[in-house]
This record gives sequence, C-alpha cells and structure tokens, in this order.
Amino acid sequence: MISMQMTDPTETRRFYGLSDLRLVGQQIYYEQLSFWLNPIGAVFTIGFPLVFLILLGASAGSSRVKILGNIKLIQYYVPGFVAFGVMSACFTTLAIVLVNRREEGLLKRLRLSPLPTWALLGSVFASTLLVAFVQVIVLLAVGRLGFGVHLPTNIGAFVVAVVVGGLSFTALGAAISTLIPNPDAAGPVTNVVFFVLLFLAGLWFPIKAGSGLAQFSSFFPIRHFIVAVFAPFNPGASPWAWHDLLIVAIWGVAACAFAVWRFRWAPYRNK
Amino acid sequence: MRKNAGPAVSVKNLRKSYGSLAAVADVSFEVEPGEVFALLGPNGAGKTTTIEILEGFRSRDAGVVEVLGVDPDNRRTQRWLRSQMGIVLQELAVEPFLSVRQVLTRSAGFYPDPRPVDEVLGMMGLADKAGARVKTLSGGQQRRLDVGLGIIGQPELLFLDEPTTGLDPSGRRATWELIRQLGGEGTTVLLTSHYMDEVEALAGRVVVLAGGQIVASGTPDSIGGRDTGVATIRFRLPDGVSAADLPVAGQPAQDGEIEIRTEDEVAVLHTLTGWALGRHVGLPGLTVRRVTLEDVYLQLTRDPDETGRTRQEQLR
Repeated sequence: MISMQMTDPTETRRFYGLSDLRLVGQQIYYEQLSFWLNPIGAVFTIGFPLVFLILLGASAGSSRVKILGNIKLIQYYVPGFVAFGVMSACFTTLAIVLVNRREEGLLKRLRLSPLPTWALLGSVFASTLLVAFVQVIVLLAVGRLGFGVHLPTNIGAFVVAVVVGGLSFTALGAAISTLIPNPDAAGPVTNVVFFVLLFLAGLWFPIKAGSGLAQFSSFFPIRHFIVAVFAPFNPGASPWAWHDLLIVAIWGVAACAFAVWRFRWAPYRNK
Repeated sequence: MRKNAGPAVSVKNLRKSYGSLAAVADVSFEVEPGEVFALLGPNGAGKTTTIEILEGFRSRDAGVVEVLGVDPDNRRTQRWLRSQMGIVLQELAVEPFLSVRQVLTRSAGFYPDPRPVDEVLGMMGLADKAGARVKTLSGGQQRRLDVGLGIIGQPELLFLDEPTTGLDPSGRRATWELIRQLGGEGTTVLLTSHYMDEVEALAGRVVVLAGGQIVASGTPDSIGGRDTGVATIRFRLPDGVSAADLPVAGQPAQDGEIEIRTEDEVAVLHTLTGWALGRHVGLPGLTVRRVTLEDVYLQLTRDPDETGRTRQEQLR
C-alpha cells in the first residue's frame, strides 16, 4: 500500500542508511587511490618512519636502555616509530592534504556537491586512519622480522593506544591545517612543528621520567602517545598507560573543537 | 524535477557586507528556466559573492533568494538542491593524481541520475585522455574536465564562473558550443565572464554589476542604449578633397581618417554617399561602427569620478 502521505521531494534527510554508507565506501576508495597514486605523499608518509626505524635499528645493535629496565634499544624504537608513523599519517600528511585541497578549491567544490559534509570529511578521516593502520602493520612486521623485536604482550592495550592516538592526531592535523594559509608553507610548517616536538618527546633517545625535558614535553601529546604505545610492549610495567592516553585524548577533543571553529572550505587567497 | 513553475533563480533586494564593505548592495534579478543569463562586471563588483549566495555557499545579510523554488540557505532542502545544480568555480579544482575517468566516475556517484561518463568525455573532447592523470593534462584540458564535472549530474541549473578563462580560442569555441547545446536541452545557465564577446555570443540577458549594484540590464545588444546610441562613421578623405568640402561636419581622427559621430547614421550616410556619387569620388575605408558591448561595459563600470557622481549619474 502506497503511503497516502505526500512527501516533498525537495526535502532531504541527512542520512539515507545503506546507500549513504556505500557512498562513503566509494569516497574512501578514491581517497586511497589518490593517496597511493601520489608518489611523494606515499613515500614520505610510509617511507620516512620505516627508513628511520631501519637506520636507527641497525645502528642500535645490541644497546640497552638502563632507564627502561635495561630492555634492548630497538625494543624501544619499534613502538616509538609506530607512534611516529601514526602521527605522520594522521597529523602531517592530513594537514598538508587539507591545506592543498582547500587552496586549490577542491574542498569548496566538494562542499557544493550533493555529497553530505559528514560523508565528505568522514571519508577523508577514515582514509587517513586506514593509511595509519597500514603503517602500523608494516612497522611491526619490520620490527619483528628484521630485528626480532617481540610484539605487544597486550594486543588490546596496543590497539586502544593506536586508535586513540590516530583519532587525536587526525583532529590535530585538521586543526593545524586551518592555521596555514598557503600550500607552499604546509609541508615546512607541519614538519618543523612535528620534528621539534618529536625530538623533545624522546623518540630518538629515551628520556628519563621526571627530567626537565620530560616535564616540558609532558605538556604536548606526542610524548604521551609514545609512552602509551610503548606500554603494551614493556613486560615490566602495566600495558595500559591510562594517564597518557587521557592527555592525548584531551588534546584530540580540544583540537576537534578548534578545527570545527576555524575550518574553512574556501581558499584563503579569496579573502 | 522542480519545486515551482516560476523562475529558476529569483533574487530580491539582496545584500551582503563584509565588515563595512557592501559587496552586494540591493541587487534584484530573475532568471527564467532554460535561459542563458550572464553576470558581467569587473573584479570586486559582487559577481562571485552573488553566485556564492545562490549556490548556498555563503549566507546573505538581507533579501529574498529562491533557487529552483527553494531557499539555498535552507538546510532541509540543501542536499536536494545540490543534486540539481552544477557548479564550475573560477579556480581549477580537480584531484591531480586520479585519472580523468576516475575523477568523473567519482563525481557521477554523487548524483541520482548522472550523465554517463563516456558521454561527458565525448562532449568535453577528452575521450582519448580518459586514462590520463589529471596533472598531465594541459590547462585547457583541465578546464574542460572541470566543466565536465559541472554537467555530469545533468543539472537543472548550471553555474559557470568564468568558464573559458585560460582556454585557447578553439577551446573557447568548443565550450561555447557546449553551453549552447545545454541551453538547447533546457538547462538554465548562470554565467559570469570578463569577455564581452562571450556574453554577446551566449547570453540571452545580461546584468552588469559594479560596486555591488546593478548598473544596467537587458539583452546584450540593447544594453546601455547600444541599439539606439551614437554610431561612428569613419573614412579617409578622397584625393583632392578637403574636410571643408564635405556635406557633413567631421573631425579628423588621429590616424588621419575623418570621424563623424551621429545618432542618425542612416541620414548622414545618405547625404555623404549621395555627395560622393555626385562628385565621382570614393570614400576609402568607409566603416560604420556602433558602440561595442565592451565600450558600454567600460563606461558602465568606470570608478566613480572626482565629482563624486555615481555610476548611474555618469551615464546620463
């Protein structure tokens, strides 16, 4: 029986269930294509953490870290570079992609298409997280097969740490993209911010808890994220670094609010 | 699918300011379904702001706007409206690393009843580039792809913001043909352009904007009194004839030709050619030129002069 209620064809819902989900699936597919077909993006995002891990892993040899219960240095580097990989995909790459697309007018064009905003941005973020996931798998595989590092003892804690970090750094990437008016500046600005904070966070050399550097970097989310990813690998301590995860999540929520407030679709150069 | 039987676009007393700057100050016009309508004006005249308000990209400060019968600001009908509109922006906005076919297929997926991708490739002359990456295309080819993305959803209403900027002459002609074809199919086209010949060749009606206001509107061949205004007659003096011998008063122009400006060119030409026939002399290089759309446009959009007169007053 056909409904007697006349519906206005011009009134549209914001969500059409399956057909909208299929639309998002298609967008994620094209986002992935666009990422992997961009040689520079793919090489920098995936290649950088990998090359660093291999170089540092090779030079670390059998060094051990006294301040972390005398574990092998490479056992510290693998979780560190997993964190680096996630941040590189979600923060740096996403920020650069968003600035470029905004300034090229691509965001504006998509905004004016019938694709709902949530589907448009949702697929960009989902695709970013997918790249981060690939990154994590590659780094773990190289750590395990190349350097004989043992995998996280608590998989659940590891996955939670990576997901919380992935979401938070995605939000941070979106937030910083709103502060960069010019696509030429996008790469340098995000990379400088990122690498300085990475250095201070003790990615290259483990830093002592309670030291001045540790106190300084404990303000930023990067060190907390590294600590949270490291915890499930560390047999001598609890796999759940709740305190650090909470700080990463707070940064994520704040960045999310900031990005929503500042986000713009049109290029900055058009006023 | 239309919500109403009225105009495709209706704008009444539209206003939009950025801070203290009135980008659009009291603009009203209507676009009929199936019409090719042009907004003409210099940079900063308010064209893009007006179009962005119609597209639902920008909100307005005041005025009534209906696009295909709905308010573009109404979020409840926005998704429907966007499925009925095609938009070509000023900047080239195409994903650089995907192929032409991938870009078109992706966009086709947004619309309920898209044009087949191969048809669009053919219409835009990009069939042999279907597999090429967007970044390897020439500027003109990218622009054609951009226009192709605007029409893939079979839009009821197409916004074209300077669609031929950056195209070579043959690319421009091809785009004109396409716009005529779409107009013939009943698509309403709202066009902005800097090119007078483009507006003259395509638009049924034109509105000239300057400083956020409409300074003239009408058909391209009547706007600003083009059909009734002054005509310029020019020729070279025949051998052995001086300007004083002419039956009508003329001014020597800079290049040595004689120039006569008149609102009654038929009578002046009759006198002049009758005189020449009687004297058995020619009028070498004789031309009659009515003001071009470009002349009218430049006059209409001139900045307010030192006496502080508005643009409309300057025209009187």
